[in-house]
Amino acid sequence: MLNHREKRRYVAIMYDENSIYRPFQLHEKIGIRFKELFGVFQMQSAMLKLYDSEFGNVMIVGCKLKYLDFFLVSLVLGEPSLIVLSISGTLKRLRKNVSKMGFRNIKNNRS
Amino acid sequence: MSNLLGIDIIGIDLGNPTSNSPQGNVILRMDKKYPIADYFPYLIVSDNIRSLDSKTDLFLIDPFQGKDTLKRKAKRGLGIEISIAPARKLDPLLVARWLKELKSIYIFCQSNDCQFILSSGANSINEMISARSFESILNIVGITPRIYWRKISEWLYAKTKARWQYVKS
Repeated sequence: MLNHREKRRYVAIMYDENSIYRPFQLHEKIGIRFKELFGVFQMQSAMLKLYDSEFGNVMIVGCKLKYLDFFLVSLVLGEPSLIVLSISGTLKRLRKNVSKMGFRNIKNNRS
Repeated sequence: MSNLLGIDIIGIDLGNPTSNSPQGNVILRMDKKYPIADYFPYLIVSDNIRSLDSKTDLFLIDPFQGKDTLKRKAKRGLGIEISIAPARKLDPLLVARWLKELKSIYIFCQSNDCQFILSSGANSINEMISARSFESILNIVGITPRIYWRKISEWLYAKTKARWQYVKS
């Protein structure tokens, strides 16, 4: 049997800094929405995993590449609203991308 | 912000027509033509089928509403916009129906020479949606993102071009 590892994608997600939810709660909520929309089997197969972003109001969630569209749709069509900042194949590259963005300057001003 | 989201041009509602000074890559959305429209690209947006006329560029539609009236009123080149924001609060069954209606509106747009537009419907920065997330919705529904972006760019270019020619003359 081939030692084949499925490709993953790491998604940097910005959440409202005034949000009542903490990253692990948001991760749970995303998982629930994923399950509601695409089923338990798909959700388990996607292997969603929360990582520490090392940045302020940004969290990182890992997901199997095959289920990335499902994951992003669950993010977009769920509450609270979250913004996808960057997607990468490695955590190291993703953190580098986020650090380049200078996202700390973005305030949650009402437009 | 649009750079972070991977979107070249964003549309913003014209809340106060006198004090807003939009920057580059922004198209103003307004319900009628305000004086500021002489200086910046704009689109006339309507969400009321009764006020839909030849000046309307963009019609905001609720996917759950019947398309029958729209069939009679939709002119060639009209943008038909669906906002994602209201779908966030829907229960899963209605989200599935919403996605199904999205596809049927896309097909309607294709057959009536209208421009299908998916928008975030954001009221704040937090509600904005990245280009990649838009593409995921399009993929799920069965619309090719590449074709969608190309068509919307062409439509927007034609609209903006027409507006500027009108302003100059």
